[in-house]
Amino acid sequence: MSSSLMAREDGSGPDFTRLRAERRMRLFDAADAAGLDALVLGRTANVRYAAGIRQLWRSGTSPFSPVSVIIPRTARIHLLSSWDEGIPPEIPHEDLYGMFWNPTNLLAALREIPGLAQARRVGTDSVTPMFLASLPEVAPHAELSDASGLMARIRAAKTPDELACITIAATIAEAGLAALEEALVPGVTERELLGVFDESIARLGAPTPPSEGVAFATARSGAVHFRNLVTDRPVGDDELVVLAPGAFYGGYEGGLARTRPSGSSPPPDSAQLADRCRTGLDALVGACQPGNAGAALYRAWEETGEPEPVIALAHGTGLGAELPLVGFGRGADAVLVEGAVLSVQAWVTEEGTGGVLERELVHVGPDGPEVLTKSKRSRP
Amino acid sequence: MTTQGWPAGATIGGVAIPAVPDLARMRHERHLRLQEQLAAQDLAGLVLLGSSNVAFATGADLPGEDSGRAGLFRSVAIVVAGSEAPYLFTPYPDAAPSELTGPFLQGPLFPDLDEGIDDLVDAVSGLMSPGARLGVDEVTHPMMRALEHFELLDARSVLGPVKLTKTPDEISCIRMAQHLTEEAMESTRAILRPGIRQTDLSATFLRRVFELGATSNAIDPIWQVMPATKAAGPWTIHGDLAYPTATTDRILREGDVLWVDAGITYHGYASDYGRTWITSADPAPSDRQLSQFTRWRSVVDAALEILEPGVTALELGAAAIRANGGEKPWIEHFYLAHGIGTDSAEMPLIGTDLGSAFDESLVMQPGMVAVFEPVIWDDGAAGYRSEDVVVITDNGFVALSDARYDPFELVT
Repeated sequence: MSSSLMAREDGSGPDFTRLRAERRMRLFDAADAAGLDALVLGRTANVRYAAGIRQLWRSGTSPFSPVSVIIPRTARIHLLSSWDEGIPPEIPHEDLYGMFWNPTNLLAALREIPGLAQARRVGTDSVTPMFLASLPEVAPHAELSDASGLMARIRAAKTPDELACITIAATIAEAGLAALEEALVPGVTERELLGVFDESIARLGAPTPPSEGVAFATARSGAVHFRNLVTDRPVGDDELVVLAPGAFYGGYEGGLARTRPSGSSPPPDSAQLADRCRTGLDALVGACQPGNAGAALYRAWEETGEPEPVIALAHGTGLGAELPLVGFGRGADAVLVEGAVLSVQAWVTEEGTGGVLERELVHVGPDGPEVLTKSKRSRP
Repeated sequence: MTTQGWPAGATIGGVAIPAVPDLARMRHERHLRLQEQLAAQDLAGLVLLGSSNVAFATGADLPGEDSGRAGLFRSVAIVVAGSEAPYLFTPYPDAAPSELTGPFLQGPLFPDLDEGIDDLVDAVSGLMSPGARLGVDEVTHPMMRALEHFELLDARSVLGPVKLTKTPDEISCIRMAQHLTEEAMESTRAILRPGIRQTDLSATFLRRVFELGATSNAIDPIWQVMPATKAAGPWTIHGDLAYPTATTDRILREGDVLWVDAGITYHGYASDYGRTWITSADPAPSDRQLSQFTRWRSVVDAALEILEPGVTALELGAAAIRANGGEKPWIEHFYLAHGIGTDSAEMPLIGTDLGSAFDESLVMQPGMVAVFEPVIWDDGAAGYRSEDVVVITDNGFVALSDARYDPFELVT
């Protein structure tokens, strides 16, 4: 799949109409199978999956609210939006409901949704105390059901169009990596690197990174810590610096991480440290076989002899970060389904040298793992 | 732009607003105020999941993240009545303020997963007794099952009153966020000309605002091209304007009227920048556009004229409507003004569908922040929208924004 962003009248590139249709089909099938009369979604990525909308991006989580109401019986997807820009054509105007500050007005709008009042089983991806209290007012006969697992399951295996979007996002992230590498000189601060990175992906039309933790320098002396936030610390001479860019395309995330020295003389033993990281990462990637469980990754890591990881070994990637999570003691039983895309990472440290992080995007293909990211490895 | 002389002796509750925030003092005072409200509401504690609430309760400088990532790698705040400090459970320990050590800073709890939910139960049970009344901002399904022995209530009863008015240090943070945003926006407006893309403006803004010291970006910056008429814009439910819509790589053309809106955070506190720009290498508002701006100014000035402690939201709205010849000068789904804090729009909300009885009960108090964002629509020639950010002080108000209104101000 080409990562061209140009208009292509031949129809090459992801087919978004097909992509949305396939997602909707999975959604309705799963809702039917779960016996749900209504599905009420609040999580941004779940709403995007169901409705295919292009929404204003905001950082961080927002509290649950009923942003989309899906009624399998009518095959209609109702959506909180006061306008039709960013709304795909399969959602007609009459299926939009407005944005309100007054909960009474929102409840009144929800009561207008055909089929919701009669629902016996309403699945949600989360709730708030207020939603719990008001559910009887909009669906008086309904029993509340947990639909968070259902959403995670249907999102796990990617369609070819989803995979194409993820690959394009990874390519944008790789372009961002190149910009970071160029800007990486002693004296530049991590925060400045974040600015350089955001600028580079915005120029490619993708201005919102999955995370602003895109760069951190690792200490050449003393204990080496993994860090998640950029700081105003200037990068020192000849330090190993973690560069971890990500990007979105059509809502889908792609990203990677590499570690580069800030000067021309890398710290002592950098090459060995990078080799250790690569050995660990290759072992993890090798374990990403369809049908394997997260335990296979834990085992692969343990067999490298590296200390217990302080970060996740892997997590799903699609409409942002998603399940399965293999790390922090979780996910040993989580099955890696065929078609999933995983962000897989290895982090190793050595006092006196620093730390090396490498992260690849791995498609769990029918014949085994397929690495989607291509940037040069970290060995100095 | 200058910060010199600000805030000119302005006080909140008799305490001067500092030019530079004392972050440790700010966090301590917030914790004390949360404690007061926990006692007043008779709650044993809070369990908070939302990014902005966790930042507020703990002072964690969480990295700017997509909602999916922030939801999976959640930080959780537990505030216990009577406890000296909040508890932060996070996969990002470097986000924690320095005073959170030992039991107050622990590894992540993953409240969205059934697997390992016992960790959450242990954490909550270790701090509060079964049956306790807990304030929560969101209840994941695994949490609902695991915490069935607790009474889960809406945390807004505690957070609402605490967030409604800001301490002098919080105001100083908002001012700093605003200042960084405005300075980055001056650099961004300088590149505006036909042929560049909306996302080029985002590129320049984001680069500059991090160089200046932003903690994180809060929203994909908005550079919406306004149509000349409402009818030429997107269809809307209420027949009013569609705003704000998401940025694309749209190429800007001579004369395009942009309604700009962006915000970053500075140690958790949001800025809110709103201006109207005209796309041109040499932007010159027409007389009609200038009169839109003049009317916008007079609407804001009418509200500011009466803005002081004791005035109600209803009175502010009425003054704005009067200044606009009797017509409501804001978009149907929005407001005349909103507050700002660790959320980019929070109470006080002035002129919403909460209604006039609500507005009448909403009385301005020292420490409230108001972002005035009226809209002057002039069908056929688009319209004007900017945002003026002020804080209500003991004696009146003081501005938190000081950017100019170029290209409109250049000619007035």
